[in-house]
Amino acid sequence: MAEWNAYYRNEDDEEEQEEGEQSGGMVTGRDSLVFLVDASKEMFIKEEDGKPSNFDMTMQVVRSVYTSKITSSYRDLVALVFYGTEQSKNPRNSFKHVYVYHDLDEPGAKRVQEVDELRGSKGAQLAAKTMGSGETSLGDALWCCANLYSDIKLRLSHKRLMIFTCRDDPHEGDSVKDRQGRTKASDLRDTGVIINLMHLMKPGGFDVSLYFRDIITPPEDESDLGLQLEPCAKLEDLQNRVRAKEKKKRVLNRLNLCLGEGINVAVGVYSTAVPARKPPPIKLYRETNEPVRSKTRVFHTQTGSLLLPSELKKAQVYGKKQIVMETDEVDSIKKFEDPGMFLIGFKPMEKLKLHHHVRPAVFLYPEEDDVKGSSCLFSALLKRCSERNMFALCRFTARRNYSPRFVALVPQEEESDEGKGQITPAGFNVIYLPFADDIRTLDAPQLPCASQEQVDKMKQIVTKLRFKYRSDAFENPAIQQHFRNLEALALDMVAPEDIEDLIMPKVDQIDTRLGPLVQEFKDLVYPANYNPETKPAAKRKTGGAEKKPKVELPEDELRAHVQNSTLGKLTVPVLKDACKKFGVRTTGTKKQELIDALIAQYFTKFML
Amino acid sequence: MDVGFSMSNSAPGEEPPFELAKKVIQKFVQRQVFAETKDEMALVLFGTDSTKNPLEQDGQYQNITVHRNLMIPDFELLEEIANQIHPESQQADWLDALVVCMDLLKKQTEGKKYDRLVIVLLTDLCTQASPDELDIIIDNLKTAGITLQFFLPFPAGDDEEGGGDGDRGGSGHPGAGKGLSREQEQGLDMVKHVMLSLDEEDGLDEIYSFRNALEQLCMFKRIERRPTAWPCQLTIGSSLSIRIVGYKAVMDERLKKTWITVDAQTNKRDDVKRETVYCLDDDNETEVQKEDIIQGFRYGSDIVPFSKVDQDQMKYKHDGKCFAVLGFTKQSNIHRHQFIGNQVIKVFAPKDDEHAGVALSALIRALDELNMVAIVRYAYDRRCNPQVGAAFPCIKQHYECLMYIQLPFMEDLSHFTFPSLENKKFVPTEAQLSAVDSLIDSMMLVEKDESGEQKDMLKVHHIPNPAFQRHFQCLHHRAVNPGTPLPPMEPWLKAALERPEVISERCQAPLEEVKRKFPLTAVEKKKQLKTSAQIFGKDTGEPDAKKAKGDEEEEDYNLADIAEGSVTSVRTRVIVFIFFCLVVVTPVSFPVCQQLTHRIEQLLSNKNTHYYMKSITCIQAFREQSVKLGKADLYNSYLQSLKRSIPNRGLEVFWDLLVQDAVTLISKDEVEGSTVSKNEANQFLITDEKKEEVAAPTTEDTGDVDDLLDMM
Repeated sequence: MAEWNAYYRNEDDEEEQEEGEQSGGMVTGRDSLVFLVDASKEMFIKEEDGKPSNFDMTMQVVRSVYTSKITSSYRDLVALVFYGTEQSKNPRNSFKHVYVYHDLDEPGAKRVQEVDELRGSKGAQLAAKTMGSGETSLGDALWCCANLYSDIKLRLSHKRLMIFTCRDDPHEGDSVKDRQGRTKASDLRDTGVIINLMHLMKPGGFDVSLYFRDIITPPEDESDLGLQLEPCAKLEDLQNRVRAKEKKKRVLNRLNLCLGEGINVAVGVYSTAVPARKPPPIKLYRETNEPVRSKTRVFHTQTGSLLLPSELKKAQVYGKKQIVMETDEVDSIKKFEDPGMFLIGFKPMEKLKLHHHVRPAVFLYPEEDDVKGSSCLFSALLKRCSERNMFALCRFTARRNYSPRFVALVPQEEESDEGKGQITPAGFNVIYLPFADDIRTLDAPQLPCASQEQVDKMKQIVTKLRFKYRSDAFENPAIQQHFRNLEALALDMVAPEDIEDLIMPKVDQIDTRLGPLVQEFKDLVYPANYNPETKPAAKRKTGGAEKKPKVELPEDELRAHVQNSTLGKLTVPVLKDACKKFGVRTTGTKKQELIDALIAQYFTKFML
Repeated sequence: MDVGFSMSNSAPGEEPPFELAKKVIQKFVQRQVFAETKDEMALVLFGTDSTKNPLEQDGQYQNITVHRNLMIPDFELLEEIANQIHPESQQADWLDALVVCMDLLKKQTEGKKYDRLVIVLLTDLCTQASPDELDIIIDNLKTAGITLQFFLPFPAGDDEEGGGDGDRGGSGHPGAGKGLSREQEQGLDMVKHVMLSLDEEDGLDEIYSFRNALEQLCMFKRIERRPTAWPCQLTIGSSLSIRIVGYKAVMDERLKKTWITVDAQTNKRDDVKRETVYCLDDDNETEVQKEDIIQGFRYGSDIVPFSKVDQDQMKYKHDGKCFAVLGFTKQSNIHRHQFIGNQVIKVFAPKDDEHAGVALSALIRALDELNMVAIVRYAYDRRCNPQVGAAFPCIKQHYECLMYIQLPFMEDLSHFTFPSLENKKFVPTEAQLSAVDSLIDSMMLVEKDESGEQKDMLKVHHIPNPAFQRHFQCLHHRAVNPGTPLPPMEPWLKAALERPEVISERCQAPLEEVKRKFPLTAVEKKKQLKTSAQIFGKDTGEPDAKKAKGDEEEEDYNLADIAEGSVTSVRTRVIVFIFFCLVVVTPVSFPVCQQLTHRIEQLLSNKNTHYYMKSITCIQAFREQSVKLGKADLYNSYLQSLKRSIPNRGLEVFWDLLVQDAVTLISKDEVEGSTVSKNEANQFLITDEKKEEVAAPTTEDTGDVDDLLDMM
């Protein structure tokens, strides 16, 4: 449920999070992925122009999947199996020419290292030495993989097998082996394993219909058998194709889009862009480095007896008054309606303001399995909205005990790139809209505008620095660094690999490109003595950098502040001092927390 | 506030001005309390029987009372307004009252910093005011910079209906139709004179009627945050920089305060202590001291110990605050649905730096004319990780700025592929498309009005966050009416979240058409059942023919809702309601109970969770009413006999549900006459193994249970 949590991390309630994990009938087992890689000689042939061999490319992809699993979903199981090898290595050694390099397990540092060893020309040598290339029996290879799955005692929610090969006729006409392969593939599919083909470049073209059509799982979309796909020639293509398949799309939740009384379209909500975060640290026992569990107990300060949830209430302080509620009342306040989406009306697209952004969007796709007919109505709405350049305004309650938000359903048509695959799927993007509270009133400064000459000069600068933005072009340097550090520690490396900070401006390149333009522009807009780098004359800094003398707050003044609710006027350091002085225990450092703590203290000390 | 005797006069059936004025003040104070503004407020009453103000002397300034000095409003003030302010029997000159207020403001703001001084006068103007010193008062108001606001029981203008609400006025203003008294006419003239002297143009806009004021005060104040400036430099390469200031313009706002946990008995926070202990994951759950705990991270299947110190040393570091351009790209390359983060930052030049203003303006206009955006590296400060984002040009009538919105990193994106919808099975027909078309036409929220201008019927960004409104409403209710259940949602709030009425009327026919053209059938699924309430709610596999007619859709709810009467299922509500009527009207008496237990037995004979749940609802209601009426015997003996009959009748499933919902005997603690102790009541639900032989009640009645229920 990683995505759930990541997506809703903003939401304040932990309890609800837990609840969300159970609800919705979501799958709970582990995902698993087996790479079945052809190790025949053909795979190692190097292209003349220095491009990597098919095998090398495959290993790079495998590595990137390994590391991405480590960073995003370490609990998924991954295996790496070679077929068409000379040597054999598998659990019971019952299959010849099948080499299980990694059996199904969580990927770790060591495995990444081991895949690394197979990369490049050294890797090819190592592969030839340890495994070699030999006869091919896809049937045996698939059978062996089937055993890998069945040996796993964990519950598997999603089973996928990817075949990487550049040979469209692996058994070279051996019909017995062909048949055996087909049977085993169908057995595997029957147990719920999805088989994909990642076919690679082959001189003369890769003909899927020759053999592999009978092996792979037919695509979910029957109209498109996915067979016209070109083989992958570029690493990037292969990586994208693998990435698209590798992750199972997880629905955040399924609910009804209600158009009116009794007209409910079942839809699934998916998140396509969620900020990735550093995973939280794990607490370990110093002596053994084993993880510890934490238990939280709530007890009565005076009696020391454990307090049950029913013996607790919730409170907030407003206007010097503590307002108390039952725990379930706190929940009921949040509840407006059951989860769902309710259509309010339609608006032209230009009414959707760019700056009305409060949260990352989610994606909507019909769930034909929940309500039959959903796809048709959904598709009709999508089509019409898209053609008429409209969006649908809806009220959206994402989960139980969540308050509603207004959202714009923006139509998105399907886009594919020349038969190579889907770029964007058809569906609605759900844009969250702000409430009045979310919009702040700003005093915009009144300043002179630029002249056309100045604007034109800037246009030249802008044009010089054009590039084609792609959303997946930038890696998060903070997260990358974190994982490199972990990798270095896990693998006992001397120092972590350097990361490239992709969001650092390439200042030198920019400067060369712009050349004299910068100076020309500056001459146009800035007077000779103006330096934007210097800070404006500091107003308050008078005399030396002497710190203000500490302000002590006598008790009666504090009391007056509490009584008149003017604590907010004091500064954080003064409040902190006051807390210290009057023995108020605080965990918080925020102003509001300090104030709350002082008020609570006041109530216990002076009033009760 | 005028509390003089005329304020309690009113036409029959109308609320007296006093009550309305009091409500205006209450609403106003409530908003201030929950908005937690630092505004201070004083309350001066005039027309009071007694006199208490600093200016009273030689019989002057009589019947004016300073009720509260200038300070931040709180619940104490609210309670005082509710309980201590009553109509009194004197009259006082409102100009005198005004002078007292001016004096109070002057003295009590000494040494304080303030933005604005306001005096709000709530009066019916029935007392003759002496205009002798009017001009001096006006001069003093001007020099002190005090703004005046009048709240009157009637609208101020003859043709214009007072305070800027021209279009709404005239509808049910009490006293508006009737002629004003001579004093009121004179008073009104004086008010207008004062207001126009203070502000020639818009002076009259500050005269409101009580009604309009109440309408506008009905919602709690929206959360207002003072924008904090973020000064920085926009850089392009190494030698071009422009001084800028950023402000958060749109931000997913949250409530400032969180709930604190208190002890249920004492309501004290300090009585509750939360303690976290750590233990090894072994059989003994060996406890580990906090000092012996270090931190680690997962790297796939490995766990790597990684201390905070090392982490800080090795972590990604950068040069702090920055807003550096990486390059420029076409706006069409940026997809709105890929915006990330929860805020929009507007970037201006500093207000005292016109050179920066010109330079930034050149960039904004260049981007706008080229339809491009800047891709920038943004770091708030050294402690925050840098982001990548887009700076859009934004040119408004009064200002220009850049709008910065965060864009995703590669790690943040998931590329999912979905089956194409261009599938023969799903492609809509022309007839279906035209049904959708007319639906869209009927539901257009933006339309041209007579003057050809576009009118947006529902600007959602003008609606206050309903979660905050509801939160404050409930807090306020609990503070003012402790011990009573929380109120239902405010009708205006409910309405604000619905379709505009025009739309919902207009779309009826097109919706029907869509319903006809698009068959939608819910696919029945086996659901994982969790609690009894959910079994009840999601009971779809029901073999009952009547149910199959799809008479009603039962929604997910819990049993607490049933007790509150907020259940959506019509049938259940009827049962519970009828039962309530029966027992409330005639106190729990034998015949009624017999009738009821008989029905319960009938329900139970239909071994089906659906009916089990109805039985439980009945039993719960039975219990509740018995407790309320202080009679435990009938209920207890029924439940005991029911328990005895469970094994014989194979009702274990039902019993489990009853146990889950903790429907047990009524103990002494609840009803004095009960012979059952609390402990016994708790023990009662634990089924004992030995089966007691008790004759099962006769269940020969095989008639339609639902019909019987309907007859009930």
